[in-house]
Amino acid sequence: MRAALWALTLLLVACKVEPRPRPPGVLFVSVEQQSAWVRNFNPLFAGAGSRWPTRAGVYECLEIFTPAKGQWTPWLATGHAWSEDRRTLRFTLRQGVRWSDGEPFTADDVAFTFKLLKQHAALDAGGVWRFVEDVRAEDPLTVAFQFSRVYIPGFAELAQQPIVPRHVWEEVADPVTFTNPRPVATGPFTEVTVFRNQVYELGRNPHYWQPGKPAVSALRFLAFPTNDQANLALVEGEVDWAGNFVPAVDRTFVARDPVHHGRWFPLYGSTVFLYPNTTLPPLDDVRVRKALSMALDRERLVEIAMYGYTRPADATALNDAYAAWRDADAAQGAWVKHDLEAAKRLLDEAGLKEGPDGLRRKADGQPLALDIEVVGGWSDWVRAGQVVARDLRKLGVQAQLRTYEFGAWYARLQKGEFQLAISWSLDGPTPYTFYKWQLSPRTVRPVGEVAASNWHRFGDAEADELLSRFERADSEAEQRALMAAVQRRYSELAPSIPLFPNPSWGESNSRRFTGFPTEQNPYARLSPHAEPDSLLVLTSLTPREP
Amino acid sequence: MAYVLRRLGFYLLAAWASLTLNFVIPRLAPGDPASAMFARFEGRVQPEAMVALRAAFGFTEAPWYVQYATYLKHLLRGDLGLSYAYYPARVSEVIGTGLLWTLGLAGCAVIISFTVGSMLGVLAAWNRGGWLDAAVAPALAFLGAFPYFWLAMLALYLFGFGLGWFPLRHAYSHDLEPALSLTFAADVARHAFLPAASIVVATLGGWMLSMRNTMVATLGTDTLRLAHAKGLPPRQVMLRYAARNALLPNVTGFGMALGFVLSGSLLTEIVFSYPGTGYLLILAVRNQDYPLMQGLFLTITFAVLAANFAVDLLCLWLDPRTRAHA
Repeated sequence: MRAALWALTLLLVACKVEPRPRPPGVLFVSVEQQSAWVRNFNPLFAGAGSRWPTRAGVYECLEIFTPAKGQWTPWLATGHAWSEDRRTLRFTLRQGVRWSDGEPFTADDVAFTFKLLKQHAALDAGGVWRFVEDVRAEDPLTVAFQFSRVYIPGFAELAQQPIVPRHVWEEVADPVTFTNPRPVATGPFTEVTVFRNQVYELGRNPHYWQPGKPAVSALRFLAFPTNDQANLALVEGEVDWAGNFVPAVDRTFVARDPVHHGRWFPLYGSTVFLYPNTTLPPLDDVRVRKALSMALDRERLVEIAMYGYTRPADATALNDAYAAWRDADAAQGAWVKHDLEAAKRLLDEAGLKEGPDGLRRKADGQPLALDIEVVGGWSDWVRAGQVVARDLRKLGVQAQLRTYEFGAWYARLQKGEFQLAISWSLDGPTPYTFYKWQLSPRTVRPVGEVAASNWHRFGDAEADELLSRFERADSEAEQRALMAAVQRRYSELAPSIPLFPNPSWGESNSRRFTGFPTEQNPYARLSPHAEPDSLLVLTSLTPREP
Repeated sequence: MAYVLRRLGFYLLAAWASLTLNFVIPRLAPGDPASAMFARFEGRVQPEAMVALRAAFGFTEAPWYVQYATYLKHLLRGDLGLSYAYYPARVSEVIGTGLLWTLGLAGCAVIISFTVGSMLGVLAAWNRGGWLDAAVAPALAFLGAFPYFWLAMLALYLFGFGLGWFPLRHAYSHDLEPALSLTFAADVARHAFLPAASIVVATLGGWMLSMRNTMVATLGTDTLRLAHAKGLPPRQVMLRYAARNALLPNVTGFGMALGFVLSGSLLTEIVFSYPGTGYLLILAVRNQDYPLMQGLFLTITFAVLAANFAVDLLCLWLDPRTRAHA
């Protein structure tokens, strides 16, 4: 009894403790949702559960792409040049860059990093050794990549690869399973000052190459296992920078302190599609795919499923990161506009006549029934699926929403064992990757075999020819003309049914720090998920004077 | 002694069975972990890397008996492998980040709930029809009937967010260094209060009711009538005669509850962001992280078995009849 009383007293005393003031200059970031932190700063293995700043603040790459400007920003490299025959790419490295242990950064480190990727295929997430033949340090500040074929889009994969120091990593026995607990890197934040299961902190790199930067003294990460917890911390002002989905963000977050609370959700995320399995009749008929697309009321869909944070997709299916590439003619394609009558006419044309019960009949007299597959817990997609199913039923299609556990859903999607499924797209710095996985026969796998993308299993030789020419095109005008042609081809064939581009979530609280990117000042994406943009943000933020 | 050995043999058999199930069940699930992991990148990794990813995670097409043998061999060495979700961290390390916190929080909560609930049950049965029996028992049963998740959210909202008496998340303040100091202990207690209290409130009614009911039955027996007739002090009759006999079903239940502490506090950990093992389990399932799943299941299974063995021993001491059969 006395022990209990003592415990109670202790508790009451503890309750009186005032919250301690937060150290000035320490930026609180919420990106990863984890219940406890595990110490891993391996920047090379993409499959690794490495902590977020590893590829976006600790290690750096040669050049950084900014979608808002459609430009490459020189970083560890000051520039690059192709050889006359487009088979050699040379990067010129920045002078005076040092690793966080004081050693100089040289071309040798770059060449070493890429050779590591060659030795350990699991590290080669960008698949650079498919098109690179050799990499050499020609002098301390020049590194040359020898290509096995002309492949201009390969530049992006090389430029954004995080570079590791040779003098540290050549001692590492297995770089795939190396957790790199004390990183040596070139980024603005390299020193692990605190690491506990609920919180960790990264301090400034003592040798950072940008004088006077970063102005932020440390990054602090608290473990929030769920979105709700992370959002609560954001609303309470406990987090300065976040990349979470916040429902009704303007009311729940921005309105609480309109001067300091900011959000910017540009439509730079991957496009969400309703994928038809084009190996199954009648989905192999372009008229049927277009009819299904025209039956959808995308305005309602984005309102209901996405809180109005996005817009209906246009007929190019491109997100806004590719705004400069978008071909106005292709985008005008009518098959993504809501028009139920036109959709019905298309089905009539395709031979799917309306039966007496209002249902569309296939040639064998059976009603047209289609299942839409989504992941059970993904509430935005489940809502989208419900709207799609309802709209398709208005067209006379027996559409059913089927929810699966993630593993089962993904297995069916990859093997092409579905009729309709909602899923994402693959993206890169140019629309090349995106369309390759929508249209190219090179990406088509037989049904039953696992496909990494192109789950709808559609290939078009004409589009592929355009994409192949794009791989070799180095003038901007030629690239744009080819990509415009690809877009028109996409819109004509409608291999997949685009729903909406995903926003990239980013929220900022400028009460303690200034310099966050905004719609008016889009020097980088606000979303911390958009690596390696975060390097630009982390080196631009400044603590407010106390 | 023979009885104890027999029980021990049974538990060893049960342990082997659970090891085997633990191996089989994840492999029956659809999908594969490399794909699940790949999917988490949603297009940020080129698809060509998938083959290499598969190789890195050591997925083998080896026949099941070879995999099973490797699995048992590694287990005997205490090697639970590398987690996929936290690759390349070791499973033991990942479980280690949360095990103590879960044991501490849920363990204390279950012990408090069991002790207080059983005591209340004894008192309620002893003073049948009194205010404890008539008002508190139904009230607790009512609270226990709420979904736990909702109760915990309500507590978090009222006492954490609204009144600000307790922290909203975590096991300790993020600017405190864990240390054996009074400040840190107080901080941990303050953080544990809401989650522990919500578990206690949700489960107290169950312990109280079951204790009360068995106790009422025991009070009607001849043994108790004799004890009364002999003129023993009521306190002694209540505790030594009635409560001790009535405690058996509750003790068995306690063994079960202790074992489920590790997995059962999952909801608590989600609501209060408590850095325990429960949340790791969800994550492991979501990512098809077989090694982590297996490591967690094993920890939980062994905890259940160990707790039940302890309960067997306790029953042996509490109940002379078990000894008679031994």
